[in-house]
Amino acid sequence: MEKIRILNLSKRYGKVLAVDSATFSVEDKEFFSLLGPSGCGKSTVLRCVAGLEEPTEGEIYIGQTRVNSTVDGINVPTELRPIGMVFQNYAVWPHMTVYENIAYPLKIKKLPKELIQAKLKVALHTVGLERLADRYPNQLSGGEQQRVALARALIKEPEVLLLDEPLSNLDAKLREQMRFELKDLQRRTGIPILYVTHDQAEALAMSDRLAVMNAGRIIQVGAPTEIYTHPADRFVADFIGLMNFLPGRVLGRSGEEATVEFLGGHRLNVADRSGLSGGCVVAVRPEDITLSLTGPIRCRVEVRNYSGNLVDYKVRADDAVLRVQTPKTEIFAEGKELGITIHRAMLFQLGEGRGSG
Amino acid sequence: MTTSNFDRRYLLMMAVGLFILLVVIYPLWQVFFRSFLDAGAFSLKSYRKVFAYPAYYRALLNSVWVSCVTAALCMVSGTLLAFLVVRTDLPGKKSLRTLLVLPYALPSFFAAIAWIQLLGPQGYLARLFFQLSGWETAPWNIYSAGGIVFVLTVHYFILVFITVAGALERMDASLEEAARASGANTYRIMREITLPLVLPAILAGGLLAFIGALANFGIPALLGMRARFFVLTTSIYYALAIPDFGLATALSSMLVVVALVSMTFQFALQKGEGRYTVISGKSVRPSELRLRSMRYPLFSCTAVFVFCISIVPIFSMVLTALLKYWGAPLAQASLTLEHFAYILKLDTGRRAIVNSLFLAAVAATLTTFVGILISYMHVKARLKGSRILDFLATIPYAVPHTVIAIAMILAWAKPPVSLYGTLWIILVAYLAVYLPFAVRTTNSTLQQIHNSLEEAARVSGAKIFPRLRDIILPLAWPGMIAGWILVFMPALRELTVSILLYAYHTETIGVVVFNLQDAGYREVAAALASIVMGLLIVGNTVIRRLTGGAAGF
Ligand SMILES: Nc1ncnc2c1ncn2[C@@H]1O[C@H](COP(=O)(O)OP(=O)(O)OP(=O)(O)O)[C@@H](O)[C@H]1O
Ligand SMILES: [Mg+2]
Repeated sequence: MEKIRILNLSKRYGKVLAVDSATFSVEDKEFFSLLGPSGCGKSTVLRCVAGLEEPTEGEIYIGQTRVNSTVDGINVPTELRPIGMVFQNYAVWPHMTVYENIAYPLKIKKLPKELIQAKLKVALHTVGLERLADRYPNQLSGGEQQRVALARALIKEPEVLLLDEPLSNLDAKLREQMRFELKDLQRRTGIPILYVTHDQAEALAMSDRLAVMNAGRIIQVGAPTEIYTHPADRFVADFIGLMNFLPGRVLGRSGEEATVEFLGGHRLNVADRSGLSGGCVVAVRPEDITLSLTGPIRCRVEVRNYSGNLVDYKVRADDAVLRVQTPKTEIFAEGKELGITIHRAMLFQLGEGRGSG
Repeated sequence: MTTSNFDRRYLLMMAVGLFILLVVIYPLWQVFFRSFLDAGAFSLKSYRKVFAYPAYYRALLNSVWVSCVTAALCMVSGTLLAFLVVRTDLPGKKSLRTLLVLPYALPSFFAAIAWIQLLGPQGYLARLFFQLSGWETAPWNIYSAGGIVFVLTVHYFILVFITVAGALERMDASLEEAARASGANTYRIMREITLPLVLPAILAGGLLAFIGALANFGIPALLGMRARFFVLTTSIYYALAIPDFGLATALSSMLVVVALVSMTFQFALQKGEGRYTVISGKSVRPSELRLRSMRYPLFSCTAVFVFCISIVPIFSMVLTALLKYWGAPLAQASLTLEHFAYILKLDTGRRAIVNSLFLAAVAATLTTFVGILISYMHVKARLKGSRILDFLATIPYAVPHTVIAIAMILAWAKPPVSLYGTLWIILVAYLAVYLPFAVRTTNSTLQQIHNSLEEAARVSGAKIFPRLRDIILPLAWPGMIAGWILVFMPALRELTVSILLYAYHTETIGVVVFNLQDAGYREVAAALASIVMGLLIVGNTVIRRLTGGAAGF
């Protein structure tokens, strides 16, 4: 069942079209991420769902309720939407204790005191803040404030949880840890989450599905593996993970396979349904390349970076510089003459999307 | 779940809009409208009258030239002092700076009174001069255009000082260093690099001084009317005493026009400052000019000057209040507290204190309250149309207070709503006068509260009123208290509006001090003024503490 449904959503600020006819939906129990570079309109989509911005065009459903429709003039105010939200800066109220912060949504609902106390006990336990209930936010660490914000968003048992870059203010270690906590929390509560981030690693790691946005438009929606292995265009290919882009030419195709020529005459058969012909861009993931003494394409190691679990090379082959990542089983010295083998590649149209060649 | 599109914040907006309409727009419109009216028909008669009688158009000319000369003197003295205090190694700069700002915290008509006590025919400094020189009469006369210009300058030069000092502090040191590297010496750098760069700030400060001098009533009233030297504000006072409303409104319209024109220039200058982006951002503090052998001579001059304009007048006021009678020899035998006792026993005195406390407290509360609502709608909710509200609320800032008083008489002193002779008409005028100041502080208070704090409350399900009550108001509270005091203090000693609107039983402190002084009861006037000065200095200290020095003087 769909918990959030967004149809043709557009939002215009003066001349800026921040969101351009976005359409997607979030299923029940799903962790759904909106991923894209800064300024692409992710937050704007989220804020429209929350009712904090009014769409210029489009419809939004939360559960079965239509909360926005520009055609029928519907715009349910934020305070009546069944949502919980965590802000990038947490927005924990500095003049209220942890307890008061978390209890506030229930106080607004005018629940009886005993019920509030009972629910608070559970909530404080869920986020592990029992001992800090009487503290003020300025006596809390960033991670603790984060949890207060989460508990406050969950306490009114919303139908969906909206998170706008909730981890971006935390240090790297804590961010890792909170990723797991969030994921765990969602599994336990089963609440659908719409999550906004510009960190592709975070989105890939946490999401059931994600939507990649660029310049206000949704480029691709899919599961992390799908988006990683079959990016819809060059922008997505570039934005998600590392990618080498090389100029090439389609020589011919048979069925779902195309033969491309690149790197100074090297030929490769590539699974491809794009129907491209002639000049194209060949995209290769660093981990789809192996280095060996005997590889068919001659190259020279220019830079080598040892980074814990793998080795990161920049090699020059023909006129191009390629990123190559290999497991650390065999380590080659800088300046060494080697050969590379390319196992997999994708084809994109010339001059499309962003990306560095 | 309702799906209604109606935002109840617009209800609030309409209420605030109505308030501004009644307190600001309708009265000011009356002034403009009535100036073109004669016996119910459109007519230019009032304006013709202004130009037919030399007494009236001379008031316009007087206003303009007095303000121009004042502005020029303020620019010279303010800039000079700002250079000395910011850019040189003058000793004791910090204390000098604090003292410099002190006189501005006191009302300008107190300054007029103090300078009469000092330089008037029997003044302390005049007597000192007679003793030293052996002359029988002083070569100056405080009751004159010159006297007015002098006291106005002493009161308003600080506006130039503050803008220029600010610009000098924000100036990028590398500009001067580049000139130094090209071989220019310090004095050339000052003249050819620094001065041109701060020129916009000097002019902007000068225009502020001009507007202040133009709208001032207390100083030309106490120093000029006796010499039959009238400016626009005092002519309006005079026209109301006749009473000739047509004339009063025509003079008011002219005063507003001059004020608006200079305001526009001032605004343009401040905007234009952006072009000189060199004066911006955080940069290295500019180097200090070494005064070398001039250091102590210049320090002595500055210190004497600062002492004369800030300490001496206050001292003189208190001394006068403590003397048995004005002009008594300065022996300790003639000191007494009886004037303080007298003013506190006097019905008018007690009433004035109660009235002023009431008016100032209510005006401060209401303007802060309305201010926070306007700021909320404008800064936080960003409702459509809230910008207009914000703009309308700041209009009175550009209108001389004399004109605001006239506007209240025209709008609220005739049936069906006749407030004339009551405290309420003074209150409405205070609301109009102080609303812009309240809105300015509440705007900056709310700007410091991050939007997401309110949005989190919305997501929590809180509607507009719970949100204001639980989140916005508690967070804005410290800023609102500071804003409250910033209205309360000047309202407590207000003169210009009250003197035109008071009646028997509705006197304010300002009115009583003014009338006592004008009627020759200098010691009693000084006693009441001293009490108020004490209150103001305490209030000022409190507010500087509260805001960490960001507000107050
Ligand atoms: N209130 C506003 N007025 C005008 N333009 C706005 C406003 N809010 C956002 N924008 C513009 O809309 C575009 C999308 O903004 P949005 O905040 O959704 O970006 P984002 O994807 O969340 O970026 P980030 O990762 O930096 O948070 C940006 O170009 C931004 O400048
Ligand atoms: Mg964002």
